[in-house]
Amino acid sequence: MEDKPIIEVTGLTKRFKGLTAVNDVSFTVRKGGITGMIGPNGAGKSTTFNMICGYYPPTEGKIFYNGEDITNKRAYEYTNMKIARTFQIMKPLKNLTVLDNVIASCYFGHSAAKNRHEAMERAIEVLKFTGLYEKRHVLSKEMGTPDQKRLEMARALATKPEVLFLDENMAGLNPTETAEAIALIRKINESGVTILLIEHIMQAVVSLCEKVIVLHHGEKIAEGTPEEVMNDPYVMEVYLGKKEEQQ
Amino acid sequence: MDIKKAVGVYHRNLLIAIGALLAVFIAIPMIVKTPYIINIFVLVFYISTMSMAWNILGGMTGQNSLGLAAYMGIGAYTVCLVVTKLNWNPWAVSILAMLVTAFIAGVIFFPCFILQGPYFTLVSIAFAESMRQFIINSEFFGRASGVGLPFGPDSFLQFRFTSKVPYYYAGLIMMIAVYAIMKKIDNTKIGYALKTIREDEDAAAAIGINPTKYKVIAVVISAMVAGFVGFFYASYIRYIDPDLMVQAKSTEFVLPAVVGGAAFVEGPLVGGLIMIPLSEFLRANYARVLPGINMIMYAIVLLVVIRFRPSGILGWYMESKFKKFIDEKILKKPSLDVLEQYELMNYGSRKEA
Amino acid sequence: MDLFLQALINGILLGGFYALMGMGQNIIFGVMKIVNFCHGEMLMVGMYLTFLLYTFVGIDPYLALPLVALMMFGLGALIQHTLITPSLKTKSFTNLLFLTVGLGLLLSNGALVLFGSDYKSIRTSYSQTTLQLGLVSIALPKLISFCVLIVVTIVLFIFLKNTTTGKQIRAVSQNPVGAEVCGINVKRIYLLTYGLGIALAGMAGCLLTQFYSIFPTAGAGFGFRALIVVVVGGLGSIPGAFFAGILLGLLEQMSALFISPSYSDMIVFITFIVILVARQLIIMRRR
Repeated sequence: MEDKPIIEVTGLTKRFKGLTAVNDVSFTVRKGGITGMIGPNGAGKSTTFNMICGYYPPTEGKIFYNGEDITNKRAYEYTNMKIARTFQIMKPLKNLTVLDNVIASCYFGHSAAKNRHEAMERAIEVLKFTGLYEKRHVLSKEMGTPDQKRLEMARALATKPEVLFLDENMAGLNPTETAEAIALIRKINESGVTILLIEHIMQAVVSLCEKVIVLHHGEKIAEGTPEEVMNDPYVMEVYLGKKEEQQ
Repeated sequence: MDIKKAVGVYHRNLLIAIGALLAVFIAIPMIVKTPYIINIFVLVFYISTMSMAWNILGGMTGQNSLGLAAYMGIGAYTVCLVVTKLNWNPWAVSILAMLVTAFIAGVIFFPCFILQGPYFTLVSIAFAESMRQFIINSEFFGRASGVGLPFGPDSFLQFRFTSKVPYYYAGLIMMIAVYAIMKKIDNTKIGYALKTIREDEDAAAAIGINPTKYKVIAVVISAMVAGFVGFFYASYIRYIDPDLMVQAKSTEFVLPAVVGGAAFVEGPLVGGLIMIPLSEFLRANYARVLPGINMIMYAIVLLVVIRFRPSGILGWYMESKFKKFIDEKILKKPSLDVLEQYELMNYGSRKEA
Repeated sequence: MDLFLQALINGILLGGFYALMGMGQNIIFGVMKIVNFCHGEMLMVGMYLTFLLYTFVGIDPYLALPLVALMMFGLGALIQHTLITPSLKTKSFTNLLFLTVGLGLLLSNGALVLFGSDYKSIRTSYSQTTLQLGLVSIALPKLISFCVLIVVTIVLFIFLKNTTTGKQIRAVSQNPVGAEVCGINVKRIYLLTYGLGIALAGMAGCLLTQFYSIFPTAGAGFGFRALIVVVVGGLGSIPGAFFAGILLGLLEQMSALFISPSYSDMIVFITFIVILVARQLIIMRRR
């Protein structure tokens, strides 16, 4: 196991006019692991995420990937660096079939398919991996939430990422579907992909992550293994209502 | 092999169907001798081509431009001016015309690519109208009275004929060629990038598509096709004026695509083939009593299609039993799974070879 | 100097019409987020309505104003109910765009069939009257129109600001789903909005009849200028539309005076492109 972090974030800050959404957040993501980011609504999780993915330029701070400064990279340059992401609000290509959705992804990124056959082969491989193969001819807008969430992951995976950012991939799923999603995420991780995920569902975070970062009011209040974080008095205070709900 | 055989039969049937359709179009000028009818077909060919040019931007990329007629006008003006003033060969100038429109669309129009949605539509109209106003105010472009191409004996080199039949075939070839290009784009990397941008620009960026780059590509292709159609139009009519570039013309070029089904490459062809002859028929027979009746028909068809069949005639056909019948009984189309396996199999054998 | 003053006055008076058109377009665009591409044609319909009322019923154009407004409101509400509301569900911007384009085609060609392409005009006893104010002369109908515009602007502003319906319209323009949750009948608001927008265009048409020829494509230039007014004046802002309209009228008259009348259209369009791009750049910078 390597100790060098694959993603390193230092002093990340984002101010929208007067409002400080994220303030001086630093953390690292270990290569090959699953790192989780939790926090109550409005804690700045999605803003942090969008900054790491190049959608918002950070006001201050730096983002390093394999030691290289990627702070100012544009969102569309990420798949070329083997980083892929999903969206909290799913953005499937609504009027295309599931297969076409994934083929589109296969054409881009660091190892873009050179022709249609290659793209199709890889798309089918990814669809089988994510369990969407049977539904490949369905228009993506006609699928339910769980399948659309899967499709989000499939589209990200089709770019052959080394690091995968998952943005609330289990929100709105029932317990069975959540369990399926957890299994899939673990499977992705076992295939060698480093994962950073934002999640509301504690159960998922506890069972998946080796390291958890807790944000509150835009600041990092705790970091550590799920057990450490859960027993942190401040986190308990912030999360009290939530914790009782989940248990 | 079962799969190979089934797909082979389907491909053969498809080829026969396409061949028959093509034969009909090739035969029409040999059977029908009235210039009036031939003229309608020439209209169908170049308006459908313009509609396809719009479709790559509007239908495929989701950027609703309403200024395409201006690019066609620029193409036509380039041809007329260079041919009359510098005495170049029109065919060579057609390439120059495409380069000029590509330059205007890709370089001068470039700052406008940051605009999205309705604002893109507005800027496309304003940009087209500025170009028209520029031409109206310029002595070089012949102001409002326009410019013409020299008349003379029939000559292929000059793309100049007294009969309409050569234009018929040239227009047919042009339409088929542009269709082939569009079909190819639809199925390759660029097509997927454009369709992804249409659905969601953020999602496109997330998989590594640079939205601006591909929007520029779409606009440039669209403008180049329009520029070439401008060359065709100028050679056919042999006289052009700034009225060619008015916004109403741009709208006219969009209608076949929307009526036919903007999401499909074939949409503009289907829409054009149905709407233009109908419109010309009404114009020829009733326009003296009821001017504008053809446009009223156009508008009503457009409204009805949008209200009741939002995905156009082709979209409706795709879901109809009629298509199922044709696919299963006449073309013997195998299931999607079989087609997919065939495609993958082909790849495997090519890899070995 | 007197030329300049005259252009100034003419610009302001002309701008009044752009403002009126712009306000209608602004309400529609603000609430439903669709561009009404048949706005100019609606002005033309208003002109023909006034013309019909004047020639066949003998109603003075200014007395016809409320009548025209009411009829146009009905037309707008009908269009909204039968065509736009059902199509809003598909959420296809392309379709909504070409829906209004199609309506524009239908209206302008319908007018062509019904009235022919020749220019019609209304001449009342006072339509040629001009007032001499020092160095400049002002046509009386233009002045009356401008006064009407000011009254309409104030009424509209108060309506949107203070009445319950006005507040509902603003709520829907902010967030239709949220408004629906609060118990606002969004469909009814859409109906009202489109009717109101069309009625404003009709009123502009009615006021215009005294000094502008009536023909099927009379509204085209005004329709696009209404869009400019929306973009420049700001979404949802009635005073913004008012001042943007006046400014646009001034720009046109001044460029005609100082550069060349034939370039005034081009200058308007290029200015518009620059404003659109600059506006987007500012928005992107803020993010």
